[in-house]
Amino acid sequence: MAPRKHKPVFTPPPQDLRRRAVNFTKGFRLKLAPEELRKLEEVVERASDALSQDVAGKLRLLRAALEDVAAADTRADTAMRALRTLSLEIKGMGGMFKYPLLTAFAKSLNDFVKTIDQPTPIQLDIIAAQIDALYVVLARQIQGDGGRTERELLQALRQATAKYKNPARDTAD
Amino acid sequence: MSDGGMADYERIDFSKISFLVVEPNRLMGQMVRDVLMTLDAQYIDRARDFESAVTLLRMGRIDVMITEWVLSDEKLGRTGMDIVHWVRNDAQSPNRMMPILMMTANSEEEYVCRARDCGVSEFVAKPYTVNGFYTRLAAAIARPRQFVRIDAYFGPDRRRRRDADYDGPERRAALDIG
Repeated sequence: MAPRKHKPVFTPPPQDLRRRAVNFTKGFRLKLAPEELRKLEEVVERASDALSQDVAGKLRLLRAALEDVAAADTRADTAMRALRTLSLEIKGMGGMFKYPLLTAFAKSLNDFVKTIDQPTPIQLDIIAAQIDALYVVLARQIQGDGGRTERELLQALRQATAKYKNPARDTAD
Repeated sequence: MSDGGMADYERIDFSKISFLVVEPNRLMGQMVRDVLMTLDAQYIDRARDFESAVTLLRMGRIDVMITEWVLSDEKLGRTGMDIVHWVRNDAQSPNRMMPILMMTANSEEEYVCRARDCGVSEFVAKPYTVNGFYTRLAAAIARPRQFVRIDAYFGPDRRRRRDADYDGPERRAALDIG
């Protein structure tokens, strides 16, 4: 470990906000009561349909981006960025509305595309297969982690992405 | 999170707190806003990119920021991490010790470490549970950590674990000036 150049300088925890907002009479306890938590969960549940429609729109954009990448024209760079951003967004959204399998497939896709700049034909096939899998999960409304078939498909895609990803780019952007 | 005793009775009055939610996805941003409003928050600003976030922050009214890592203008190289860095280090930042929650699908350990090393107060991995989000939000507000400047870092003290069995010298304690 490299030696530190300076000694650490500590400042006490800021208390302004705590003084203003924390009390013993009004507001929400630090550990939510079950009925309070239920109210907050209802907020997310109410958004489920809208989230589902939003993901459907992102899947269409993913397909369009894949076509642009495959065309290998001037739009390819932008389309690769779109593949990364859209797959990351779906990864973060799926589990919010009872579709953890969407999150799992989107993570697999995102982990793959962030290692690639100019995909080879086989890498394009793997990307297409992952987008297809996302479509199936949403179209068939497969909530939870699916069944045996879905788990096997996810495993197969993970193996394919591990085999064909670009190890030189296998780091966080 | 409970400390026992009086802490079990503490409450957070969210109506006294001003929030900034930086989220490029309209629906996800709306959901955070709805959750905050259900908690009785009265003042919630929203931004989708670095510039609009910093403009709102400069006004000096924001108490707590909740930001996504990946922003609308990421192609220009600006991310939620740049906003965190601005809050913690820029001379124009109105509150360098503001509680900041990073809420992102970039949830792997390397991202968590990078967010911590940038000065994020709490990290919420998407998809998140409402309880997980609330727990981190409440901790950032009611259990603020001391801040530390060491080399290029300024932010919350990154040491969280206390080893009860550690019997060596408290080297850092000797340097504390707070």
